[in-house]
Amino acid sequence: MMLYYVPSPSDAFSSTQYIFQTVYFGRFLETVHLYTAYAMIMLAFMHMMRGYFVSVQKKPREMMWIVGMVMGFVTLGFGFTGYLLPWTVVSKSATDVGIGMISALPSALSSAIIFLVVGAGGDATELLRFYDLHVVVLPAVLLVLLTVKMYMLEVHGIAEPATGPPPDARASHGLSIFPDVTLYLLGLAAMFGSAMLLVSAVFPLSLPPMYTPQLAAQFTPQPDWYFLWIYQILKIAVFEGKGLPIALSIVTLIFVLLLALPFVDRGATRRIRDRPVYVTIGWIFIAELFVLAYWGLESPGQVIATEEAALVLGGTAILVAIVSLAFYRGMSRRPSKPVGETHGALSTATGFVALLAAGSIGIGWSFNSIVRVVAMGANSLNLLQLGISLGVLVSVIPLSMFFLYRLELDRGSLKRRVRLFDVRGRTK
Amino acid sequence: MIPTKHVVTLLLALQMVSAAYLWVVTLFGTLTAGRFADFLAVDLLSFALVAYVYTHERWGETVDRVWILTGSAGLIILLLASLYFP
Repeated sequence: MMLYYVPSPSDAFSSTQYIFQTVYFGRFLETVHLYTAYAMIMLAFMHMMRGYFVSVQKKPREMMWIVGMVMGFVTLGFGFTGYLLPWTVVSKSATDVGIGMISALPSALSSAIIFLVVGAGGDATELLRFYDLHVVVLPAVLLVLLTVKMYMLEVHGIAEPATGPPPDARASHGLSIFPDVTLYLLGLAAMFGSAMLLVSAVFPLSLPPMYTPQLAAQFTPQPDWYFLWIYQILKIAVFEGKGLPIALSIVTLIFVLLLALPFVDRGATRRIRDRPVYVTIGWIFIAELFVLAYWGLESPGQVIATEEAALVLGGTAILVAIVSLAFYRGMSRRPSKPVGETHGALSTATGFVALLAAGSIGIGWSFNSIVRVVAMGANSLNLLQLGISLGVLVSVIPLSMFFLYRLELDRGSLKRRVRLFDVRGRTK
Repeated sequence: MIPTKHVVTLLLALQMVSAAYLWVVTLFGTLTAGRFADFLAVDLLSFALVAYVYTHERWGETVDRVWILTGSAGLIILLLASLYFP
């Protein structure tokens, strides 16, 4: 794509259009690029939450967590910078909103960021800087971080499962990085790559219209899906105008807390069963993200009343907390299953992920339905929506909690993967 | 017991045929994105299965019949899907 793309406001769109329409397989290449980027962001998020639930950040892997989080931020940076490049009305408007948010930061900080990212030359400098960041700076940073993280993995090995036999009871295979680990990862990459190719062939992209100020004026800007949760927070009425720095501080605080997690969650135990508070917080975090993102998608440009936001977000947190704590209470009455009795870790993990998504959508949908019934009256359509969404919610959340618990107990592929990365038998 | 040598031989042959097919239709300029994706996916999935068999035999672990059958079913579906792609 770099062979054809021209990073200037006058040519960016036409060169992208040329890639789409004229370059051999250009549209396919663009589609694979976008879908793979989306998958990378989603997989990075899933990897982070899996790590959170099984406490991979605990001693001695604190720095691995921090490096991984920085890699996650770089991944989001890839998304933000790459989104602008086609210079469509969708991408340019959304990026302008993002840059506008930076202006609400303390002046010294916002000036520095705007100087670095946007420059002083208007659209031309902005596009060129975004392009440079996307194709040179961020890949270089990610490569360095990846090298550091792989080195740490080599030193510390992969984290032990949250349950299982003590490390010295496990046989070491003395596996080497090459060819053992490399082939294992290449095999996974090949499966992932083939899936991406097929999805891209079946659902090819279409290019939105070119950015012009006139067209942008008729368009409600909305960020890409992975920033929708931030977008929705900023749309809450209390954060409009002078409240914007507070909203940005909240978002920053979330990122800082994630980064500093090894120094916040310092308990000795790593077992999911023994960490109800942190596990519940993790579930609330996931649910709030999905609710905010879904809500943001459904209400572009609408300012959200503060009371409504408090009801939906507070209600989500309370509901998830109640279900989670009820689950823990139920589990505490049951004796522990001997580890190794359960099988099918892969199917459990797949079910868990599917339920995670369905449950989160169910929460957002339920609250949306409640708000619709309250605001628009209890007509049959609204009541039907409410009934179905509550049904989804009631059935999915307990199942998700059960799957999370099973995931911890399963020793099938999880244990094998631990052994695989247990290079030269080092376990700490 | 899975005849892993036969499985790997078949997979490698499939990879070669798939790559040769892609090469030839590219030369004639008749390759579409859909068909390219489909046959490249066949190549990649075959590679993943070969890597799976190779690593597990190397580590002295059992090659799981379920994985081989699932992968083979996936390959058959992909080959049949080539009829769908123009």
